Amino acid sequence: MSSHTNTNENKIILGDQEVLKSDLLTLNMGPQHPATHGVLRVEIKTDSEIVVDAIPHLGYLHRCFEKHAENVDYRGVIPFVDRMDYLAAMSMEWGYALAVEKMLGTEVPKRAEYIRILVAELQRIASHLVFFGTYGIDLGAFTVFLYCFEDREEILRLFEELSGARMLYNYIWIGGVWNDITDDQLARVAKFVDRFEGELHKYNNLVGENKIFIGRTANVGIITREQALDYGATGPVLRGSGVKNDLRKDRTYGMYDKFEFDIPVGSGEKGTTGDCWDRYNVRIREMFESVKIIRQVLAGIEEGPVMGKVPKIIKVPAGEIYMRTECPRGELGYHLISDGGKTPYRLKVKSSCFTHVSLLPAIAPGQMVADLVASIGSIDIVLGEVDR
Amino acid sequence: MHNLIADYLNKVVSGCSAKVNEVSIGDKSITIDSSFVLEVCRALKTSSEFEFNVLQVITGTDYPDRIEISYILASFTKNLELILKANLPRGDKSNLPKINSVVSVWSAANFQERETYDMIGVDFLGHPDLRRILCPYDWDGHPLRRDYVVQEKYLDMVVNPPEKNNTDDQLFGKRLKEQLGDPKKVSASWKDSSASEESEAKDGE
Repeated sequence: MSSHTNTNENKIILGDQEVLKSDLLTLNMGPQHPATHGVLRVEIKTDSEIVVDAIPHLGYLHRCFEKHAENVDYRGVIPFVDRMDYLAAMSMEWGYALAVEKMLGTEVPKRAEYIRILVAELQRIASHLVFFGTYGIDLGAFTVFLYCFEDREEILRLFEELSGARMLYNYIWIGGVWNDITDDQLARVAKFVDRFEGELHKYNNLVGENKIFIGRTANVGIITREQALDYGATGPVLRGSGVKNDLRKDRTYGMYDKFEFDIPVGSGEKGTTGDCWDRYNVRIREMFESVKIIRQVLAGIEEGPVMGKVPKIIKVPAGEIYMRTECPRGELGYHLISDGGKTPYRLKVKSSCFTHVSLLPAIAPGQMVADLVASIGSIDIVLGEVDR
Repeated sequence: MHNLIADYLNKVVSGCSAKVNEVSIGDKSITIDSSFVLEVCRALKTSSEFEFNVLQVITGTDYPDRIEISYILASFTKNLELILKANLPRGDKSNLPKINSVVSVWSAANFQERETYDMIGVDFLGHPDLRRILCPYDWDGHPLRRDYVVQEKYLDMVVNPPEKNNTDDQLFGKRLKEQLGDPKKVSASWKDSSASEESEAKDGE
């Protein structure tokens, strides 16, 4: 074919040279890609190494949990809830149980409240450890993954003894918790947090202060304060952008008002406020705060029953409630609408990960492809919760 | 607090007819006229008194006579929370109910409205990119409608093949079989008061 006619269209002047014009390249990242932490497909349009546009395609793990919830009774919803954020199933259960308890007016025994906080904070540590480990892998540091999973294993082993399952617990029930915790297990938790606190300092020195790690994360994937609020970001992503907001303090639930802990906020220590390193740092400091809370739980836990009085067949009075709780990945909201029957009329879940995915098209343009991996890793999504 | 917000809205957006839904249990909410949703949202965001700077979620609920859209807003500066509601007619497949998009107020509305469109079937006018988000782009129907019936075939694949259907041991499977005579149609149909009483007696003791 003659190329004369197209010369001007195919070539551009770059400096003083005439070079071939490059087209945008469409690249599919995922759905089967380790850096997407599940089955997220991001359609990336790149100009050589620079991302011009990133379009997330969701739904590969969509199970329509909300439809299922309309068909099972109130207790039966809890196992479904587990399967949303499978790395933080305890936190998912707690939010749902709180919503139903508030509607029923159930009083939860003191000991159950303590156990709930204990497992939720242990879960937060376990979940952040997965983030920590996999984020290392995303950026090419394999060592930290092995350290993290060793510590996470101890938490999972405890949960397995408590509930019988390693990840999908069905442990926090409406009205309390399923099973009591023994003194022996509490002593083990105490031993674990003492050891873990020292270890975490070590890991943080190994990774967070590492020059290569800082180079890969500082000033990368910046989410400004305005952007974070505009897109409705919550949890570590919002706090990484410098907004001091934590439901455990602001709209306290359970017994969090009786515990002392700080809210870590990103301050742009290594780069700009709201970059990947800030979000990483917020999560690390949150683990230290969780350790603080766990110590207070261990000091204050009381003897007593672990299950409150709940009717055999739960019938939530007609009405609606929106219950927000602070999960490891951000705010989880349950919008429960009841018509007085045995099953929820409508149960909508506000997933923080779903909201955070919508931030991707806003922060991706202008990044290198490898930095996009760092950005996706730093917002720490679980696709089970995105797709529900 | 809700009364203050309703008064403010009635004052700023004339004709929005904001009304507080008083409840004895659970959360209160405010219902507005659906045609003023954009103005109301803008007023709530810009008001110095309430400053609802975050859109938490947009969701829809299917009732026999209407579709109720709930906007759940939060103010992180004033530590407030509000459920804002608008009622729409149910419409049908070719004529989806329409409401103005609020993407211009909060960017968070983009994905939330896409999800509501996908799941409930509401057309958001002025949305920049109203595609399905959780279901495949060429899916048929809106799953969270109460009268939704799963399409039989999708791209030559049978949806819910009988050999993979394991609903026999589940409460809803049994009830559906009785009502519809076909377990393939996995859907919650309208509540039948007599049917629920029967099953209650069975489950009681």
